[in-house]
Parts: sequence; structure tokens; C-alpha cells
Amino acid sequence: MTLRVPRRTIAAFLGPAVAALALVGIAPLLYAVWKSLHYFNLTKLAQQRFVGLDNYASVLTDPVFWQAMGRTALLFAISVPVQIALGLTIALVLHRPGLTFWKTLTRLSLVLPMATTYAVVGLLAQVMLNEKYGVINQMLGWIGVDAINFIGDPTNAFIAVILWDIWQWTPFVALVLLAGLSTVPPEIEEAAKLETRSDWTVLRHVQLPFLVPSLVAILILRTADTLKLFDMPFTMTRGGPGSATEFIAVLIERVGNRQFDIGLAAAQSIIMLALTIFLARLYIKVFYKEVR
Amino acid sequence: MKLKMHVSALALASAATVGAAGTVQAWTLEEAAKPYAGTELEVLFLDRPGYNAAIKMLPEFEAATGIKVNYTTVPYENALGEQVRDFVAGGDLDIALIDLVWIGNFAENGWLVPSETFINDAALADPDLDMADFFPLILDAFGSWNGVNYGLPFDNYSGLLFYNKCMLEAAGFTAPPATWDDVMNTYGPALTKDGKFAYALQSKRNETQSADSFARFLWPFGGSFLNAEFKSNLMSAESQAGLKFRQDLMKFMPEGIVAYDHAETVNAFAQGDVAMITEWSAFYSTVVSPETSKVADCVAIAPEPTGPAGRKPALGGFSLAVATQADDAEKAAGWLFIQWVTSKAKSGQYLEMGGVPGRQSAYADPALAETYKFIPALVESWKDGVPEFRPRFAEWPAITEIVQEWGTKMMLGEVSIEEGSKMIGEKMEAVLAEAGYYDGKKPLAQ
Repeated sequence: MTLRVPRRTIAAFLGPAVAALALVGIAPLLYAVWKSLHYFNLTKLAQQRFVGLDNYASVLTDPVFWQAMGRTALLFAISVPVQIALGLTIALVLHRPGLTFWKTLTRLSLVLPMATTYAVVGLLAQVMLNEKYGVINQMLGWIGVDAINFIGDPTNAFIAVILWDIWQWTPFVALVLLAGLSTVPPEIEEAAKLETRSDWTVLRHVQLPFLVPSLVAILILRTADTLKLFDMPFTMTRGGPGSATEFIAVLIERVGNRQFDIGLAAAQSIIMLALTIFLARLYIKVFYKEVR
Repeated sequence: MKLKMHVSALALASAATVGAAGTVQAWTLEEAAKPYAGTELEVLFLDRPGYNAAIKMLPEFEAATGIKVNYTTVPYENALGEQVRDFVAGGDLDIALIDLVWIGNFAENGWLVPSETFINDAALADPDLDMADFFPLILDAFGSWNGVNYGLPFDNYSGLLFYNKCMLEAAGFTAPPATWDDVMNTYGPALTKDGKFAYALQSKRNETQSADSFARFLWPFGGSFLNAEFKSNLMSAESQAGLKFRQDLMKFMPEGIVAYDHAETVNAFAQGDVAMITEWSAFYSTVVSPETSKVADCVAIAPEPTGPAGRKPALGGFSLAVATQADDAEKAAGWLFIQWVTSKAKSGQYLEMGGVPGRQSAYADPALAETYKFIPALVESWKDGVPEFRPRFAEWPAITEIVQEWGTKMMLGEVSIEEGSKMIGEKMEAVLAEAGYYDGKKPLAQ
């Protein structure tokens, strides 16, 4: 028997969610699109005017924007594979039978880096990595390594941001992959282990297909997170030294909140949003076909 | 000249008000504030000694007037954005906190009420206001724009040379360096050894880079950001000499100096790792307190060294002004607070509690220099300063970002001094062209 649900009931259930989404998501987005078509500087409101696609043209031809994009892409290209490799290793260790108490404790401790506020992570890094007084250099000194200028050197600062990102997000990847491993039917896994003694073979042919949805989710979330990575590098290096850690979100904040050019910052944000959607669709198209 | 004439006019207006009020009845803060009792004021403060001093003084003002001052403490880096957004949105702020480089921006947007509005109101103007008692340089630079005064100097700084006399004496020096040339050729080599450095120049990529680092080496060498036609002056021989000097001086600074903000620089000095720093007078209490400084007993203060063009030390500071968005009662109450906290009568207390008053009379007693070692150097610096140490027009927020980016790249060696200067000049002129300075739409005012 098929139950016919009245339209009013459907509307009553869906309405609040749709209205909330429209209010906090769609309306600001439409406003940002509208503002991106204007010269709109908070300190020069008298000069506000419609400029069509000029802001988009400025962004797309601005080398500073593309350099920030390049830095962001490099951060993603280095940190996410490392996070996946380390996260998968941790997940596989936690997936093994035995040591229940310790595994529970490890699972709980994995949440801590993720639960720490981004800005606090950046501030901690700034203090811990201080060349003269930081605890990291002090510990390096114990094993005879000279103090490293982490924050004042462009390359070192970039590496420091990568390491901090890996520290904060590897646990997230590990927990998602651990959840993915729990979807592998135990009987299939046991049968595979009877067939081969190679853990790699089991991983490659049995576990990995079940992990594809988790990996796609990780890629989508980490892509979005990396594109909007702001708090940690801002409090840690403020985009410096020079422009060494000026990632795309740091650049947009600078244009919008320090130069007050809201129109240009809105155009940069819309381009970034389009890029995020494109990449998300790409991941789903490329990786999900294996699952289907 | 125009600004000086204006200050004189304000002083006269103030004096006239005194006369007018004097014939009627004696003015008191309590009487003036009676109509505004219960009014609440909103203002942003920074976490710096001058604001902490004002916070300690607030209960006295509130008890005398019934006016409540609600302050929100924000980091310096957020203060401009917070205020701009509040003023654009018609928010709650009744008093504007104005860094000297924000005055043009705030005034041109019509966010500030001119001081004359209140000075000409006998009910609100303290007969002892005495505008001429403020150091003319800081009254002009911190609170005035285009010939009109808006704000009264509140949190006042000058760049000073803080030096560790123990380290200097150990190296055979009996006095601090008088010139930048001395720093480079005599003090630098002698004091940079055994893991210690002669000098640290705060150069982090924020306002510190443009104000404390970049501009500091333009003016004493005869350079400037702009010439008289508002075109870039950074490629001039004088500006280039100053910027090259800064680059050469880095060999006597700690590695990674581009990551040093005020905190790191003051800390390096306070830990005894650096012999000399050029910092704001506001950090005096930090380096002489044994709680925050290992070298408290060795600290001595001098004016900044001179360059080929003179001293022209770094100039910075904040004024307080009444915001136009406040209602009439808040405006009047706001003025009463600003007038009180910057008054001659309260300047001694403000100094005692850690603030740096902008009143000449506050430093008249020679005995004060015994307690506050920075006073002679500060007073001398305020006589040698230039109001346009950093341009104060509305376009500065955009220009400072350019200077911060390319100034840091110069120091890192990512671009040469010439390339960086050329790039800043081109970008700076593009901002000024867009603003209308080159087609006569805006006056060439700094």
C-alpha cells in the first residue's frame, strides 16, 4: 500500500530547512555576486558604481591572485597525500583486532587536534616555532641541531604551515578511513586473508574499493578546507614573510578587510567558490564511477 | 602653516569660550554632564599601556558625570576594520579611536565631528581646555585633517632609541649612537658578537613593516613616499640611500627580522639579546619593569639617531574624536569624556598610570625625567617630527598593504631595492590616480 503524503506536510517538513538555507546561504551568496559586479570600497562609498565584470577581469589578470592560488595548490598537493598516507596507516593499525582499551584511547586523542581552534593552532605554532625562545628549537638543541628560523624564512615558513596542517588534519583522515574500513564485510576480509598473506594485496583488492567513498569525501572536504585555510596561517605568519604563506583565503581577507575593497574580494570569493564546485564535481565523476 | 594657524584659531576660540563662560559661572564637569547622566558611550580601546591607564581612570569620570564608558579592547590590527564597518553600518561606536594614518580616511568619509562644534559650546567646553598646550606636531598629525581639528591626542608615541647601557659600556661606549652612520660603522660591528646583536628593527608584514621599518629609513635620509606632485619619491637618490642603508644594517640584526613584530623586538631587547631598538615610547614601561625585562636596570633612552637629513623620528599615536553617528546626547557626553581624559588636569595621573600624555605642561617639571627616563627624548623627538611621516590620506590602507608586501620582499632579497621601490611607486600611483589626485578631483593633502 502506498501512502500519499499531503503537499502541506512535505512543505512543513522541508520548508524550515529550505528557508534557513536560503537565508544564511543563498541570500548572502547572491548579495556577494551582486557586489562583485560593483566598485564597492567601504572607505569610498561615494564612488560606488556598477562595473560589470571588471572585478573578475582584474582578479583573473592579477599575478598576485594566481600566485596565491599556486601556493594553495602546492599546500594541497603536499599535505593531503601525506595526510592520506599517514591517516590510512593509523586507520589500518586501529582496524586490527586486539588492544581495545588503547585503541579507544587513541581514537579519543585523535579528536584533539581537530577540536583545537584553527586560530589557536596558529598562535601556538608562532610561539612554539620562535627561533630564539620556541620549544621546538629548544628540543632540537638537545639533539645538537642548530636553531631553525621557521617563521622568518619564506621556505621554512611554508614548510611549517604544511607540517602544522598535517598535524591538525591527519587525525580527521584517519577517523574517516577507519569508519570506511568498518564497512568492509568481515567475512570477505577474512576470506581474503586466507587467500594471501600480503597485507598490501588485501588492502589493494579488498579494502580500498570500500574506502573510495571515504577518500572522495576526504578529498572534497580537504579541498574546501585548504581553499578556505585562513585562521592558522594568519595567526602564525600573517601571510609572510613576504608573500610566502599568503594563501588564497588570506589574500581575500586582506583585500576585503584591510583594503576594504569588498567588490574585488567578492569577485575573488566567487571564483574560488566556482573552483571548489568544479573540483568537487570532478572528484565525484572520476572516483565514484568505480563504486557505481 | 595652515594647520598651525588653525591650531592657533582653536586656542583663541578656546580662550574666548573661557572668557564667556567665566563671566556667567564657573564651569565644572559635573554641571556640564548633568543633562547627559545615564548616557552610555561605546569606544574601542587597544591593549596598550595608555588604554590601561585610561581604564583605571574611568571610575572617577563615571562617578563625577553619571556617563558610562563602555570600552571594547581589540588588537591594533583589527581596530581599523572594526571601526570602518561600524561607521559604514551606522553602528554603536560614539567615539572614534584614530591612528594618525586613519585621520584622512575618517574625516573624508564624514565620520567625525569637528572639535570646534564643542569648543564653541560654552556648556561643554572646559575653560581650561587650552588647545595650545598640546604639542602642535601631534595635535596636527593625530587629530587634524585638511585644516580642521577632529581629535584630541590621547595615546601618543614617538620613536625612541632604547639602548642597553650595560652592553654599550662593556663594548667601550659611554654614550648612545648619535647618527645612523655611527650605528652602521661603529656600534654595529662592536655589539654584534657572541650570539648578541647590535640592533633589531621590527619589520613584520603589517603596519609595522611600513611604519616602523620602511618609513623609518626614508625620512632621516631625506627621502619620502611622495614628492610635491604626489608622485612616488621612492626612486629619488635620498629614498634609495635610506632603503639601501636599511638593507645593509640587517647584518647587525637577528636572523628572521622580517618576522619580528613589536612583541618580538621588545622581548629580544628585554632578554638582553639585542643592544638597541628603535621603538615607540609606549613600550617604556615594559622594558623597565623587572617583571617583563631582564635588563630593567640597564635601560637607557635617547632620541633616534640622525641621518643626513636630520632626526625625523618615527611618529605614531592615536587621538579620540566624537563620531557623527552618535546621537546628540552621546556626542556631548563623548566630548566631555575625550576632553577630560586628555585634559591638563588629568595628564599627571595618566602619566603616572602608564600613559603618555600629549600635553606640553605634563612634562614641564624637570624632576619628572628622573622617574620617566623617556621624557627628554620624547619631547625632543616631538620637536623634530614630521606629521606626514606616513601619508595620512584616505588611500593609506591600500598603500600600506603595497609597502608591506614589497618592503618585506626587499628585505628578504626577493627583489632588489630598485625593483621593489619601482613596484611600490607604480602601484601607489595607481591607487592615487584612481582616487582622483592627478586629475584635480582631490586636493594634494597629506
